[in-house]
Amino acid sequence: MNLSGEFIAFFVLSVMAIGGAVFMINMQRVMHMALALAFTFFSIAGIYLLLNAPFLAVIQVLIYTGAISILMLFGIMLTKHRYEEKSAVARWQGVIGFIGVACFLGVLMWTIYRTPLLSGQGNPKDFGIHQLGAAVFKEYAIPFEVASILLLVALVGAVILAKREENECS
Amino acid sequence: MEHTLLDFNLRVMAPELIIVSAAALLVILELLLKESTSRNWIGWLGLLAVIAAGVSVGMEFGHPPYQILNDSYRVDSFSLAFKALLLGGGGLTILFSLAGGKNEQPKPKGEYYILLLAALLGGMMMVSSADLLALYVGLELLSLSSYILVGINKRDRHSNEAAWKYVVLGGVSSAFLLYGMSFLYGLTGATNLFAIQGKMVEMVATQDQAYIYVSLFLMMVGFGFKIATAPFHTWTPDVYQGSPTPVTIFLAVVSKAAAFALVARVLLIAYLPLVSTGAWNEIVSWLLMILAACSMIIGNTAALRQTNAKRLLAYSSIAQAGYVLVPLSTLGFVGFDLFPSLFYYLCAYLFMTAGAFAVADCIAKSCKNDQISAFAGLSRRSPWLAGVMTIFLISLAGFPVTAGFFGKFYLLTSAVGSNQAWLAAAMILTTIVSYYYYFEFIRQMYFRAPDLAAPRVSVSWAAWAVLAIGVTGTLALGLFPDLLLHELGKIDWHSAFAQAQNAIRQ
Repeated sequence: MNLSGEFIAFFVLSVMAIGGAVFMINMQRVMHMALALAFTFFSIAGIYLLLNAPFLAVIQVLIYTGAISILMLFGIMLTKHRYEEKSAVARWQGVIGFIGVACFLGVLMWTIYRTPLLSGQGNPKDFGIHQLGAAVFKEYAIPFEVASILLLVALVGAVILAKREENECS
Repeated sequence: MEHTLLDFNLRVMAPELIIVSAAALLVILELLLKESTSRNWIGWLGLLAVIAAGVSVGMEFGHPPYQILNDSYRVDSFSLAFKALLLGGGGLTILFSLAGGKNEQPKPKGEYYILLLAALLGGMMMVSSADLLALYVGLELLSLSSYILVGINKRDRHSNEAAWKYVVLGGVSSAFLLYGMSFLYGLTGATNLFAIQGKMVEMVATQDQAYIYVSLFLMMVGFGFKIATAPFHTWTPDVYQGSPTPVTIFLAVVSKAAAFALVARVLLIAYLPLVSTGAWNEIVSWLLMILAACSMIIGNTAALRQTNAKRLLAYSSIAQAGYVLVPLSTLGFVGFDLFPSLFYYLCAYLFMTAGAFAVADCIAKSCKNDQISAFAGLSRRSPWLAGVMTIFLISLAGFPVTAGFFGKFYLLTSAVGSNQAWLAAAMILTTIVSYYYYFEFIRQMYFRAPDLAAPRVSVSWAAWAVLAIGVTGTLALGLFPDLLLHELGKIDWHSAFAQAQNAIRQ
C-alpha cells in the first residue's frame, strides 16, 4: 500500500466521520448529539472534496453542516426537553436490532465486493457544475418543478401545524 | 441532441397543469380572504379543478403515447386510466370534506383543500413518469402532503399520534426506497427506466446478479409500506383511525392506487429482463406472492379482533391490498392481460371503501362513538343508511350483484390460471374469514335493538352525494361488469411498458 497524501486525508476524514456518528449515538445530551452530527457532516464534505466533487462539498457544508445543524440546534433550544431520558428500548430488542443490522451490512458488503462495477476512470471535467446545471434545468426540468411544489407544501404545512390560532382556548 | 421543456407539446400535461394552477391560485385567494369568511367555496373550486382535470384526462384517451424529456413525464393509456381513478378518488374526498358541519371539519380549511390538491398532483406524477427521479419526487409530494393532512386536526390526540407514526415510518420507508433506487442507479448509471432496462439486459447475462436483488428487495420494503401490505402494515390501523375520515379515504384509495401504479411501472420496466432468464418466476413473483398472502392472512385475521369501526376497515383495506397484489405477482406466469382485472378491482375498491368509511364517519359523528356497537339497530334508526352500508359490506366481502364479487372473481381466475393453487386457496379461505367481521356490522345493524338514548343519525347532503356515487358505482360495476371491462380490454396496456414513439424518433 502506498501512503499517499490522499490516502492519509481519506483516512483522517473517514475516522472523523465515523467517530462523529458513534459519538452522536452515545452522547447523553441532545446538544452534544447535534454537534457530533454536524462534525460528521463536515467530514463527509471533506471526502467529497477528495473525490473531485467540489460543488457537492460546498453544498454539503451549506445545507447539512450549516442549515440542518443550525435548524436542529434551534429546535433543541426552543423546545423543552429532559436530559438523560430513559431509553424505552428493552435490552433484547437492542440485541436483535444489532444482529439484524449486522446481517444487512454483511449482505451489502458481500454484494458490493462481488460485483465488478469498474467502468474506467471518468474525466472530472465532464461532471462539473456546468453539466449539473444543464441536467437539472434541461433533462430534469419536470422533477425540478415538482420539487418546488414540494417545498411550497412543506412551507404551508409547517405554518398550519405550528401556527397558534386566534380563538384557541388552551 | 439535447431537448428543453419547450421543445415538447405541453398540452399533454393539461391535467397536472390544471391542478397546479388551481392549487397556486387557491393559496393566493386564501391569503386575500378575510378571517371570518367561509372557506367552503375553496373546496368547491378545488372540486371544479379536479373535474376539469378529469375532463382533460378523458379527452387525451386514444392518442398515441407521448413522452417529455427522457420520460420524466409520459402519457399513455396506463397513466391516463390511473389518473382518472386518482381524480375520481380525489373528487370524492373533496366532496366528502364539504360534508362536515361547522365544528367537525379540519380547522385550517383553506389550506386543507390546497394540500389535498398537492397530494393529488403527487399521485398523478407517480403514475405518469418513467424516470426514477420524477417518480420519487411525485411520491414525496404525495407523502408529505399526506403527513400534514393526517395531523391537520391539531387538537385531536389521535390525529397527532397518527401523524407522528406516519411521518416517522413514512420517512423510513422512503429511505429504503431511495436506497434501493440508488443501487439501481449505481448499477446502470441511469434514472430513466427504459435505459435501466437496457443495461439490465446486459446485467442478467452475467453471473453477478446479487446487486440487482439487493436493489429489488430494498425497493420492495419501501413499496410494501406505501401500499400497506403486511408485514409493513403496522402504521395503517393507527393512521387510518386517527386521521380525519376524508383523509382516510384519500389514503386508502388515492395513495394506494398511485403506489400500485408505481410498483407496476418500476417492476415491469426496470426488472423485466429478469423474465427472460426465469429469475422473475423464481424470485420476483414469489416475493410478491408472499407479500400478497401475508397481507390477506394478517389483515383478515387481525380484523376479527377489532371493535373500532374505522380500525376494522383499515385492516380490511390491508387485506384488500393483498388481493390487488395477486395479478401483479402472477404476471410472470400468465402475461400482460391482467391489467383489466387489476384496474377493475381498484375501481370497485374505490367505490366500496369510500362508501364504507363515509358511513362509519357519519355514525361516529352522530353518536359520538366510533365503536361497531354504535351501529346497533341502525336498520330501525336510519334504514336508508343501513341499506347503503349493507351494499358496501357485501361488496367488500365479495358477494354477487356487487362490484366486489366480480373484482374478486377475476383476481381469483388469474391466480388459478397461473397454477398457483395455494394462492387461490389463501384468497378463498381469507375471504371466508372476512365474512365474519363484515357480517358483524350487519348483525349489529339488523339484529340488535337500538340504544334508546342514541341520537338520530344526521347525514349531510354532501355525505349523501358521496354515498350515492359509491352505491351507484358498486351496483353498476356489479350488475354490468362488461361495461367497464370492455373499455378496459380496449386499452393498450402494453404501451405503458414500451418506449413512446417520439422517444424513438429522436
